[in-house]
Amino acid sequence: MSNSLSGPSNFADDGSAVIARQLDVHHSRLASEAQNKIKECSDIYEIERTVGVIADRGYKRIALQFPDDLLPDSGLVAQLIRDQTNSAVFILADTSYGSCCVDEVAAQHISADAIIHYGRSCQSPTSRLPVIYVFGKQPVDVSDCATAFDGFFSKDKSQKVILMYDVIYAHCIDRLLGTLKTDMDYTNIIKSRVETESNLGYVLSSQDPSSNCCQKKESTSCCSGNSGCNKATRCQNGSAHTNGSSSCSDPGACSKSTSTSSLTQNASAPIEDEATKNSNSKRRKFGRTYDLPEDAKIEDYTIFYVGDESPTLSNIMMTHSQCEVYSYNPEKKEGRLESAQVNRALMRRYFLVQKAKDADVIGIAVGTLGVASYMTMIQHLKALIESKGKKAYTFVMGKLNVAKMANFMEIDCFVYVACPENSLIDSKEFYRPIVTPYELEIALSKSREWTGEYVTDFQQLLPDEDKIGVDKVKISQHQLDAASDVEEGASDYEADSDEDEKPHFSLVTGTFKQSKKFTTNKEDSKELSELLEGTKDLTVRDKNTSVATLMSSAAGEYLNSRQFRGLEVKLGETPVELATEGRAGIARGYNSEAGYIDREKEKY
Amino acid sequence: MVNFTIDQIRALMDKVTNVRNMSVIAHVDHGKSTLTDSLVSKAGIISSARAGEARFTDTRQDEQDRGITIKSTAISLFFEMTEEDLPDIKQKSDGASFLINLIDSPGHVDFSSEVTAALRVTDGALVVVDCVDGVCVQTETVLRQALGERIKPVVVINKVDRALLELQVTKEDLYTSFQRTIESVNVIIATYNDKVLGDVMVYPEQGTVAFASGLHGWAFTIRQFAQRYSKKFGVDRSKMMDKLWGENYFNPATKKWTTKSTDANGKPLERAFNMFILDPIFKLFDSIMNFKKDVAFAMLEKLDIALKNDEKEMEGKQLLKTVMKKFLPAGEALLEMIVIHLPSPVTAQKYRVENLYEGPQDDECAKGIASCDPNGPLMLYVSKMVPTSDKGRFYAFGRVFSGTVRAGLKVRIQGPNYQVGSKTDLFVKSVQRIVLMMGRYVEPIEDCPAGNIVGLVGVDQFLLKSGTITTSDAAHNLKVMKFSVSPVVQVAVECKQASDLPKLVEGLKRLSKSDPCVLCFTSESGEHIVAGSGELHLEICLKDLEEDHAQVPIRKSDPVVQYKETIQAESSVTALAKSPNKHNRIFMKAAPLGEELSLAIENGKVGPRDEFKARARVLSDEFEWDNQEARKIWAFGPDANGANLMVDLTKGVAYLNEIKDSCVAAFQWATREGVFAEENMRGCRFNILDVVLHADAIHRGGGQIIPACRSAIYAAAYVAQPGLMEPVYLVEITCPEQAMGGIYGVLNKRRGHTIGEEQRPGTPMYIVKAHLPVAESFGFTADLRQATGGQAFPQSVFDHWQLMNGVSNEDPKLIEKILSIRKRKGLKEEIPPLDRFLDRL
Repeated sequence: MSNSLSGPSNFADDGSAVIARQLDVHHSRLASEAQNKIKECSDIYEIERTVGVIADRGYKRIALQFPDDLLPDSGLVAQLIRDQTNSAVFILADTSYGSCCVDEVAAQHISADAIIHYGRSCQSPTSRLPVIYVFGKQPVDVSDCATAFDGFFSKDKSQKVILMYDVIYAHCIDRLLGTLKTDMDYTNIIKSRVETESNLGYVLSSQDPSSNCCQKKESTSCCSGNSGCNKATRCQNGSAHTNGSSSCSDPGACSKSTSTSSLTQNASAPIEDEATKNSNSKRRKFGRTYDLPEDAKIEDYTIFYVGDESPTLSNIMMTHSQCEVYSYNPEKKEGRLESAQVNRALMRRYFLVQKAKDADVIGIAVGTLGVASYMTMIQHLKALIESKGKKAYTFVMGKLNVAKMANFMEIDCFVYVACPENSLIDSKEFYRPIVTPYELEIALSKSREWTGEYVTDFQQLLPDEDKIGVDKVKISQHQLDAASDVEEGASDYEADSDEDEKPHFSLVTGTFKQSKKFTTNKEDSKELSELLEGTKDLTVRDKNTSVATLMSSAAGEYLNSRQFRGLEVKLGETPVELATEGRAGIARGYNSEAGYIDREKEKY
Repeated sequence: MVNFTIDQIRALMDKVTNVRNMSVIAHVDHGKSTLTDSLVSKAGIISSARAGEARFTDTRQDEQDRGITIKSTAISLFFEMTEEDLPDIKQKSDGASFLINLIDSPGHVDFSSEVTAALRVTDGALVVVDCVDGVCVQTETVLRQALGERIKPVVVINKVDRALLELQVTKEDLYTSFQRTIESVNVIIATYNDKVLGDVMVYPEQGTVAFASGLHGWAFTIRQFAQRYSKKFGVDRSKMMDKLWGENYFNPATKKWTTKSTDANGKPLERAFNMFILDPIFKLFDSIMNFKKDVAFAMLEKLDIALKNDEKEMEGKQLLKTVMKKFLPAGEALLEMIVIHLPSPVTAQKYRVENLYEGPQDDECAKGIASCDPNGPLMLYVSKMVPTSDKGRFYAFGRVFSGTVRAGLKVRIQGPNYQVGSKTDLFVKSVQRIVLMMGRYVEPIEDCPAGNIVGLVGVDQFLLKSGTITTSDAAHNLKVMKFSVSPVVQVAVECKQASDLPKLVEGLKRLSKSDPCVLCFTSESGEHIVAGSGELHLEICLKDLEEDHAQVPIRKSDPVVQYKETIQAESSVTALAKSPNKHNRIFMKAAPLGEELSLAIENGKVGPRDEFKARARVLSDEFEWDNQEARKIWAFGPDANGANLMVDLTKGVAYLNEIKDSCVAAFQWATREGVFAEENMRGCRFNILDVVLHADAIHRGGGQIIPACRSAIYAAAYVAQPGLMEPVYLVEITCPEQAMGGIYGVLNKRRGHTIGEEQRPGTPMYIVKAHLPVAESFGFTADLRQATGGQAFPQSVFDHWQLMNGVSNEDPKLIEKILSIRKRKGLKEEIPPLDRFLDRL
């Protein structure tokens, strides 16, 4: 259900694995014989279409992003594009995060105008650059697939089914639909669509709302300066890029982009609006859109997925846990019911939510620099965590691995901000659990509860801009109220603070868990500065609790709980010894160790 | 109907020397609640006519329906001693009025935790023993627990009417049966006796044994008969008491006492007990039950028992009951025994303080407890939570050991994990109200001084099950209770409708509050688990959960048991694990801890909080550890208190201190999730033999050490003949001889293993004792009923962890078991291979 992680596993191997690692490269089918290569390449990599778009928009610097398994073809593709467009073409090297995400940062290093993303994509919306997706085309035996479909649904031809698919099979889905509808008389099949381009019409899609929100910010003037800043720069970025990209000469692209923009807005609406959204027939989940008839509910539908096991499938199952999911694997040519394990997977995530609830110190691990509004998400998470009196740290650490994460023992739980397909991490081997932003929301925010519904796309979590404003006003109002209450000595306040201080019942341990409070509000810092003023160069410190308790900081408390707190000077306690010769050799096997002599022998 | 007012009680609470806190404990169905009723009727809360039927302390509907007690219930009684009896009280007292706080406890083993909670807040125990069944398994368990808490026992031999009416025994037989029962009780007391408590064995001639019929509402001690006869014979009462038990005979011909059972002519003499005590009772029974009313009335006159006119009309059992109640009122006898022989809080807390208080014995709190000082710092132990009529809220039920608690007092609420000086598990809050718990009712009171039992309102949100409440900043915790049962049986529950989940979670919280033993948590696979001590316990818990706490329909899985992973030998090779960066390596060997030490750790005899030198001494004296090694215990685990140890045996390793925290973290993790089935480990000792560390601190951080240490532990366990332990019940089955065959059949089918079988002397009943794996116990009771035609009654109590045959990674049966556990947990269905953990140089 979750991503397996590459990189060093926590259990040490002998290191040879890294060198001898065989990458599963199946480029054979994508680019085979030399004579057909060019033709095949242009076909598979949709050179014609890409070139067309580039020419239309007049992009001058193009970045090509390939996943590892398609890299062998990259040279040829780049050459083809360069020949046909006269643009500067760059091939991006190793991506920092998952290869399914568009690596905008890398593209910006070469000030690219656009990115062409090849291979499987998670379809996360991007924030800065126009992207053209080329999925590559994998063959599907449409009739066999239709037969498999028929095997599942032949009982009721009017059953409501949504057709979903891995992007690499996108090319033949219309044929499949045709077969099912005309030859087999299925009446209620809906096809989901994937986008092949995004952000092409930047002028329309992003400038309006962002300028809008700028205004709102001014009016409410309580957003933190930082995020505001960010927004502003991003706005400028967007317009700068889109200015160059002509003003929608292609009417088709234009209409597409408008629809995209409206959809994106739709998607970022908070969950609470789900009910109202039901009436709105269009739905979008990680780049897939489908139209539901007016009065239909998603629960009534069954999903038929074309593609093999992949994060995409897991994702679809997690987010559509109320639907049955059947899958068809075009490579093995077999279909099966997938829903059985999804509940288990969901329940495992539920356990992680419980763990997150117990956490006092939360690390926000940034796993993407490309997915739109990740910065907003991080800000949002920070605010959420701090509003609960917990402590947040932000980490940027590329691909996660056990050793890296375990270096931060004071963190109780990590939340991973990444693209939907990469954010489900099986953290069993990790020292601390890793949850998704949605799970953290459930854990911390009272307004959300675990219902079995699941969201992997964090953009759906972000509240509307104006809502944030209202909330903030509410909060400050509330604080004011509370303050006045204190003055009046009203009992309401007592009850209120009680509510906050009460321990919660932890379902991980089955006992009460008292949340620690790491307050960062002004009163405290004032208190602190007063205290620090009073502190002279020499201060008597008590036996165990040093400055740390005073500040009630997370790090201080952690240090206090440790047995080792740095080297201790034990004057006179350590006997004087002559220096002895230390170890020699390399870490793989020191000279003094048994294996060393054998190795030395081998050399000769 | 109430004979006394709350004000009267409150006044008595101040005279602590006149307070008795006691619990009624016994095996199931030996008649605790019924007997309690007769005491309550004496104290005047329910009319004496209904005593024996109402069971005042069984407050719940299902308790009434099933006829068993599930929750312990407290009630305060008022007793007035006669002036002449006062000198018999060998401890300090003040006036003749006494307040008795009585807690009726459940007898079924599955609810033993309720007994533990009751014992904690009391100083004395009334041990009820069925005169026909004798001492049973649960009698022993609760008695052992009582003595462990330094609680003084007195004994009531109950259901004497049964012996007379049903079994029709002779006087001498009855005497021997009494004697045998008392002996068995004394054997248990002698075994578990705490020297500090002094001689607490029970002797009828000293009045610490009573004989009763709870159902009929009568009881007597030898003291009462001695009182009657001392006047008649003109002998001192205490001398008379001696004569009325044991080898003392009265020769009516010579009017002389003798210790021989025959007179000068060799004619058998009647034992004094039989002659002076049993004889009148037997005669009354005989005359009334055989409708010889005139004989009976003649006797009644002699005995000074006046009947009312309508009572004279009664016949048979009803008349017998009325007569006996007047002749030997149970309340009188038992309350007298309690007041005379059980210690007052002042007496008891002097010797209990050592056992109760975790902190130093010379601080103000310890002193306050030792002297039971109402003006000392408040020390109150909350032993359990009692649901209020307000859904989801609870009274915190506990005992004031020092100081005075009053409504509105700002107190420190210290949870079980609180440590002095830290802020964890500590809340400073006001007590909203305090109440007196009276069975089904509560009575509000203003304040409550040391030595009394009380219910608090407003602290339930800060304590889950139990905790310490104090006013002193320096106060340590009162010791956490040790339960004799552990939650070894679990079921997974889920709500039938997904939308009910929040209610279910809230319900689980309430459930775990309302029961001292039950454990509610989420498993790694996301299931909600309810763990209880046995099938019945779970059944009651789930019923409560569904009907009261969550109030949503739930579904439950089949019960499963927890296993423990262990090792059976020392590691065959030194396990080496390298850190992910290969720059650090840890050399480790595992060795079995031994069952005795594991038990000592589990019973809290050896623990992480002990002073390390003292602990090392215990380990080297009692468990043959090397003293130096014993001082280098790094950690207990899992949960920092389990029965696994990590010991540092390295010599001269630089920076070793620096990685200690990482190693301990890895150890806690690894012992919580063992290598094979991810069950807790038990009874393993991990010796760190050597450590090689990178010279640069950044390369030996937690990220490197935790994975390395964890795999070193796994590897060390892997090569040390790993095994699996399963929980085993001790089952005691009472049945007639002809049902024995059926019992053995059922036991054999379920891997049961008989350890003893004996006939209950004087009865046709046999007692079969057997060990039965908990995993095989589901449906055992039903099976047994079927196989024996409902004649056999089992009682199962968790006894020990038993090693299963074979080695975890070799024995096919064990592998199958492990794989099934892994499957249930949603883990990969394969045993991870050794080379995932073991590195080579």
